[in-house]
Amino acid sequence: MIALLLAVALGVPQGQPLSGSALDQRTQEVASLLRCPVCQGMSVADSPSTVAQDMKHQVRDMLGKGYTQEQILAFFEQSYGQFVLEKPRNPWVWVLPIVILIIGAIVVVTTAKKLTRDPGPGTRDVVTDPYVEQVRKLVNHD
Amino acid sequence: MNRTVLIVGAAIAIALLAVLFLGLGKDPTAIETPLIGKPAPQFALKAVNGSETIDIARLRGKPVVVNFWATWCVPCYQEHPVLVENAPAMPNVQFVGVVFNDSADKINAFLRQNGSSYPTVLDEQGKTAIEYGVGGVPETFFINPKGVIVAKYVGPMTPDILQANVAKAMVQ
Repeated sequence: MIALLLAVALGVPQGQPLSGSALDQRTQEVASLLRCPVCQGMSVADSPSTVAQDMKHQVRDMLGKGYTQEQILAFFEQSYGQFVLEKPRNPWVWVLPIVILIIGAIVVVTTAKKLTRDPGPGTRDVVTDPYVEQVRKLVNHD
Repeated sequence: MNRTVLIVGAAIAIALLAVLFLGLGKDPTAIETPLIGKPAPQFALKAVNGSETIDIARLRGKPVVVNFWATWCVPCYQEHPVLVENAPAMPNVQFVGVVFNDSADKINAFLRQNGSSYPTVLDEQGKTAIEYGVGGVPETFFINPKGVIVAKYVGPMTPDILQANVAKAMVQ
């Protein structure tokens, strides 16, 4: 029944059925690409939680039936969303923070340069006091 | 130029504050399901409190409430009476309890002690729970008569929450 449902959901397996040590190794590799939904920052491969163990069994079953890594990740993504992927497919997840960081750096550098070059109105050495003006003239021997 | 920098800086600060503010009300452990609006994953599992097999495909035509729970789940004890009392009052709605990571003996003992008014099935190895993207229990899915998931609720339900979500499944 489960095999039938998998076939309906994902189509036919597109890889070679695995067994033995190759199956163990591949299960660990694919499970490490899935995020444990009930843990903080742990993959399905590393988590001892029951849900993660069930997910790992599912990965093993699917690899044993010949499903590829891409098919298995797609299967879990269908149920849990992109959250479940340790490496999200959406490139903006990686690019956007860097873009924002660059924009922030540009703003900071521009502001710093501007402040060093131009102290702004009110801070210029403009003397309006006649007494100070007189002292300056005396000092400069004008 | 100073003004431009100020405006850009203020815009970035406001955007960051807005993101932080929106995130305050959210449960960081709650996972948004991509299944809303999609056909409910199929399952056919044998009832532990009866001899029938519950095939969700055969329940098309009426709203279905699929409640994932377990006997080791403390909030499920709080939620169970709500479901048991409300299910008979909604004869047009099919309730199904799906228990995962548990044993038939423990489930039957739980149901004998706490009552039962709808079929309960055992999801061995959590395969059905995985297909529904269940992270923890209790989680409840509301399926409309066309077999499409219209709502999901995480945590123990009150009668009001249950009725509001059942209403969504009846409308769509």
